[in-house]
Amino acid sequence: MSQLVITDLRAEVAGKEVLKGITLTINSGEVHAIMGPNGSGKSTLAHVLSAHPGYKVLGGSVTLDGVSLLELDASERARAGLMLAMQQPVEVPGVRPVDLLVAAGASGDAVETMRAEAERVGLRADLLERFVNVDLSGGEKKRAEMVQLAVLKPKFAILDEIDSGLDVDALHAVGERLSAATKEWNCGLLAITHFRRLLDVVTPNVIHVMSAGVIVASGGAELAETLERDGYEPFKV
Amino acid sequence: MNNFSASAQPLLNSNAVRQEAWARFEQVGLPTTSDEVWRYAPLRDFSLDDFANFEPFTERAISTRGAELLGGHSVLIVNGEVKSATLPDGVTVESVLIPTTLDQTPVLERYASDSFALLNLALAPQTVVVTVAPNVRLSETIALVHETTAGVNFARTQLVLGKNAVASFVEYFDGATNALVVPLSEYSVAEGASLELFTCQRLASSAWHIARSTGYLAKAASLQQSVIGLGAHYNRSRNDAHLLGVGATNELRTTFLGSGSQVQDFRTRQYHVAPRTESRLLSKGAVAGDSRCVYTGLIEIEKGAKRTDARQTNHNLLLSSTAHADSVPNLDIRENDVMCAHASTVGPLDELQRWYLESRGVRPRDAERLMIEGFFTEMLVGAPEEIVSGVSEDVTRVLSQEAAV
Repeated sequence: MSQLVITDLRAEVAGKEVLKGITLTINSGEVHAIMGPNGSGKSTLAHVLSAHPGYKVLGGSVTLDGVSLLELDASERARAGLMLAMQQPVEVPGVRPVDLLVAAGASGDAVETMRAEAERVGLRADLLERFVNVDLSGGEKKRAEMVQLAVLKPKFAILDEIDSGLDVDALHAVGERLSAATKEWNCGLLAITHFRRLLDVVTPNVIHVMSAGVIVASGGAELAETLERDGYEPFKV
Repeated sequence: MNNFSASAQPLLNSNAVRQEAWARFEQVGLPTTSDEVWRYAPLRDFSLDDFANFEPFTERAISTRGAELLGGHSVLIVNGEVKSATLPDGVTVESVLIPTTLDQTPVLERYASDSFALLNLALAPQTVVVTVAPNVRLSETIALVHETTAGVNFARTQLVLGKNAVASFVEYFDGATNALVVPLSEYSVAEGASLELFTCQRLASSAWHIARSTGYLAKAASLQQSVIGLGAHYNRSRNDAHLLGVGATNELRTTFLGSGSQVQDFRTRQYHVAPRTESRLLSKGAVAGDSRCVYTGLIEIEKGAKRTDARQTNHNLLLSSTAHADSVPNLDIRENDVMCAHASTVGPLDELQRWYLESRGVRPRDAERLMIEGFFTEMLVGAPEEIVSGVSEDVTRVLSQEAAV
């Protein structure tokens, strides 16, 4: 059993405090959803956790199985078991997915796993030969992120609006792969999303509502229904 | 220059064109850094007498990659002289002395003010003429493997493709410790013919490499040329293409990796003479350590070359804060009905790409290596494996040197 513990995390971007004290604990196999209006700090949380350049941590702590992550660089955090799946995965011209994954520590049979996983999420095998995320559609990029996830098998995955811009088929392919991951290797998920539709495929244990850099409410599936009905207005701080 | 002149004398005495070229060279003299086009060359450290040893002084075995390339269809050229050749049907090699360029201009006219080309014309042991007969379509790449075992290598090459011929060649330069290597090359592509060419230079870091090439393209001819510069203390590479026939196309990709105190000096000229000709130039390079690169490219369009489409792109990667990159694109257009574009960037590795790789668990140094190799990958599409692995080896070596600093 692994545990990702975020305690009173505060961070700024471009001199503006965007995260104002986030506290959250996720256990292996659990799915936590974070919902909230634009500008509430959801994506900042994802970026700060994965050491995206341009963000400055002001205070608080993040530990994965007791290891403090904030002192580690992006690569060390990933090797500790954290992976970010992105809304807009970065294109890396000239680098092939297999070379990325081998350099990231994937085992020798990475190629076979990649092929099998591509088939599973409906990504054409020949697209694995293209440079990382280059010339892929929005849906293909997210399916490709799922292939990486399945090869790297992180203890925890942070999904930053991975459902945005996906058609129904892609949403199901991605959602079902994530759901299976929570069982196959007990992957814990922190799913940042605007929409309930992802949560219909990946059932969350807890839903958190974020507003103005803090978590203002946490609850079960009923919270998503309330949001759907009333919007974020009642939760604004 | 006394020692060098003395070494040169026996060759000069053998031939009138050599003597004329030498006389012309003495008249022109060596360039200096006050000449704009030689501004970045470390000429203060340059003395011809350092290269006065014309006789082979080492029996060094052929370089590893060179030996690999010699396994297939190939020509071994040592110090500019053909030593052996294994060629397919329809391809011949001759060693002669030719006083004209491949567009039939007297050499002394064409190269009248180019000091190093004049030296080559005076001192090249022979002109290596490789000819692909008309309508011959080769499926296998032919390697011209150049090795240097003396103080100088004045290799002179003419590569001639007959009408509708299709061929792929590699020119490979390796070795040359403390040597001066001055290749002078011409490529002639006849009507409807297509030449793919990879010129890869991986000389010793003590060598000086001053190369010049010119492609002559007839009607509907195609020249796809990749020039890769990795070695030498000073690497100068001038590559011209004369688009002489209607519908000729030239794609030129120049790539370099500079390290230590190396200077990578690339010059290009796309000379559009005929209508509806097309040129694509992509220059991409990286400089590490205290190295410096210069890219100067000229697109020249003659009056009458209507509907010419010429593009020039230059991307330079700075891998250290003490490396320098200069980019000087030039256009000289004497016709209105043309498309012309150039673009240029200079900067460090993309921070976001680096972070993305690292966020998957790739260690920082590996991320850098992957990205730099990736930077070169598009330049090496279609290149033989021996060349690709050589580049990869050099990238890894340069990065480990950087890490050690």
